Amino acid sequence: MIGRIPWWTVVVVGVIATIWVIPVLGIVITSIRPPSEVALGWWRIDNVSFTLSAWIRVWSEYPLAQAFWFTGMLAAIATLGTMLFAPVAAYAFHFLKFRFRRVLLIIIINAFVLPQQVVVIPLFILWRDLKLIDNIAAVLIPYIGLSFAWSIFLVKNFLEDFPKELIEAAKIDGCGPISTLRHVVLPNATSPIYAVGVLQFLWTWNALLLPMLYLRSMQPLPVLLTKVAGTYESNWDLRSVAAIVTTIVPLIVFVVFQRQFAAGSQTRTGAKE
Amino acid sequence: MANVVLSNVSKSYGNLEVIEGLNLAIKDGSFTVFVGPSGCGKSTLLRMIAGLEPITKGTLEIDGKPMNEADPIERGVAMVFQNYALYPHMSVEQNIGFSLRMAGLSKEDIAARVAVAAQTLQIEPLLKRKPGQLSGGQRQRVAIGRAIVRDPEVFLFDEPLSNLDAELRVSMRVEIAKLHNTLGSTMIYVTHDQTEAMTLADKIVVMRAGKIEQAGTPEELYDNPDNLFVAGFIGSPRMNFLRGAFGGGRLRLETGAEWAGAVPDGAVLVGVRPEHFVEPGHGAADVSVKVDVVENLGGTRFVYGTLGSGESVVVEARERGGIRAGDQISFGIKPERAMLFSPSGTRLRNL
Ligand SMILES: Nc1ncnc2c1ncn2[C@@H]1O[C@H](COP(=O)(O)OP(=O)(O)O)[C@@H](O)[C@H]1O
Ligand SMILES: [Mg+2]
Repeated sequence: MIGRIPWWTVVVVGVIATIWVIPVLGIVITSIRPPSEVALGWWRIDNVSFTLSAWIRVWSEYPLAQAFWFTGMLAAIATLGTMLFAPVAAYAFHFLKFRFRRVLLIIIINAFVLPQQVVVIPLFILWRDLKLIDNIAAVLIPYIGLSFAWSIFLVKNFLEDFPKELIEAAKIDGCGPISTLRHVVLPNATSPIYAVGVLQFLWTWNALLLPMLYLRSMQPLPVLLTKVAGTYESNWDLRSVAAIVTTIVPLIVFVVFQRQFAAGSQTRTGAKE
Repeated sequence: MANVVLSNVSKSYGNLEVIEGLNLAIKDGSFTVFVGPSGCGKSTLLRMIAGLEPITKGTLEIDGKPMNEADPIERGVAMVFQNYALYPHMSVEQNIGFSLRMAGLSKEDIAARVAVAAQTLQIEPLLKRKPGQLSGGQRQRVAIGRAIVRDPEVFLFDEPLSNLDAELRVSMRVEIAKLHNTLGSTMIYVTHDQTEAMTLADKIVVMRAGKIEQAGTPEELYDNPDNLFVAGFIGSPRMNFLRGAFGGGRLRLETGAEWAGAVPDGAVLVGVRPEHFVEPGHGAADVSVKVDVVENLGGTRFVYGTLGSGESVVVEARERGGIRAGDQISFGIKPERAMLFSPSGTRLRNL
C-alpha cells in the first residue's frame, strides 16, 4: 500500500537519528553541569546538579555577543552578495551572447577544483600588500568569489530548464536583457537563489580559516570558539555554550529554508501539462 | 498596420540552410498563413519577422523601413506563442499589461487598455488569476490579449491552437478570424494544419523545405495548384493521384479509364479531388472502386476504396446512400476537374 513504510525503515532511521542526537545532547548537558561533575564524561551520574553559570559567564569572559553579531554581518553580506551575483552571472552565461563567454565560464567553473587552502597564502600576500588585512573586505571578497563556481553552476543548471519562450515573450514585450532578468527570470528562479543563499550562509557562518588568517581585531564565532579553551583549563562548559550559540543559527536557517531545497525546479509557463 | 516585405531572405544555422532566398510581400491588413509540413521553416521565418532570430541574408521591410536589425518593439510586432509563454508569476492582468509597463505607460492607462483587451476577449473575470489556474483555452485568450493590448502593426501567431482540443480549436479559430475583422491589422499565422489555413487566410503561403511552393488565396491554391505538393497539401481529404500515361492524343489511366487529351506523350499523374468524382456516366470515363471503408459524416460520406490498379482512392459520395464496405461501385471523372502532373510533380496545364 502507498504510504505504508516497512517496520525496519523506522528502526534504521531511529537508530541513525539517535546516533546523531547523542553528541548534541552531550554538548547541551555539558553546558548546564558544573565542569567538575563531567570531567570524566557528560554521561556520568555520580553527582548530578545543574547550573546556568556557564551560560552567564561566557558572555562576560569572552566577546561572544560581539562575535555573534559580527559573524551574522559577515555571513549576511556574503550571502546577499552571492544571491545577487550568482543569478546575474548564470543568466548572462546562459541567455546572453558575448565574447569569451565559454572561456570565462570554464575558468569560473574550474574554480570548483581549486581548494581554499591553495589560495590562502597568495591571497594573504595580496591583502598584506593592499593593506587589507583586518579589513572585512579581506574575507568578504573570497567568501563571495570562491562561491562563484558552485553557485553559478547551480543556478545555471536550473536555467537549463527555464522555458526559452518566456525570455522570448519578454523580448517581444519590450524587455532588454536587464529587465528580462529582473521581471521574468529572477521571479521564477527563487528556489535556486534560496538554495544558493542557504548554502552560502552556512558556509560563511562556519568559516574558520579565512577570518583566522585575515582578521585581527574582530573575530567571528568559529575563531572565537577555538580561543574559548583556556590555557590551564579546558573550559568544557564554556566551550559547550559557545558551540551551541554557534550552531543554533545555521540550524534554524536550515530548518526554516529546507523547503526551498525540496522545491521543484520546473517553471510553469502556462502551457498545457 | 503595415506591409511586410521579405526580399531574398535566407537563414542558416551553421552550414544548415533552413530558409533559402525567400521573397514574399504581405499586404497591409491581410491575414497571411504560412503552412507546410513540420520542419519546413515556418516558425523560423516567423521568428525572423518577429526579431527573435537574426536574418542571415536578405532584407526585411516593415512599412517600407528596413528592419533587419530592429528589436521587436521597433518593428511593432506582437507574437502569440504555441505554448502561450505566459509569465507564471504574474496575474492575467499583469501579463496583459506587462508590455505597456515596459513601455512606461501610467498605471491608469495600463488599467484602461487592459480592460479593453479583456473585454474584447471576454476574460474580465479571470484578470486576478495566475496562468496556472487557467484552462488551455483561457490561457490562449490571455496570450492573445497580451498581443492585442499593444495595438501592434503586425500580429504573429505560431501554431497558437495546436495545444487545444479539437472543439476548442474550431471555436478559437472563429474568434481569431473575428478579431482580424475587428482590428483590421496585418496578421501572420503559422500552422501545419491546412484546414486552419483554408479557413483563416486571405493569403496562404505553402512552404516546403525552406522554400515557398506557392502563395495565393485559398481558392487559387485549391483550384489551381502549381504543383503536386500544393495540390496534395491543400484540401481535405487529400487529392487522389492516379497513375496514367499519354499516347496518341489519349490519356489512359492505369486502372482502365481513358479520355482524349493534349499533353506531350509520357507518364502523368492525374489528380482528382474526392469531391470532384461524379455519378458514373456523367464524366468522360468511369473508374471502378472496391469499397474498403465508408466514413459517414451525416451530411456527406467519404468512401475509402481501392482501384483495379491497386491504388487507393478517397471519394466523396454525397448523394449516394447505402454504400457498404466490400461493394464494387463506379464513379465518373470529369477531365476539366482533373489536374495533370508530370511524374516529377510539376503541373501540366495545357490540357
Ligand atoms: N536553433 C536551431 N538550430 C539548428 N537548426 C534549427 C534551429 N531551429 C530550427 N532549426 C531547423 O530548422 C528547420 C525549420 O524549423 P522550424 O522553422 O521550427 O520548422 P516548422 O516551424 O516549420 O516546423 C528544422 O529542420 C529545424 O531542425
Ligand atoms: Mg514550428
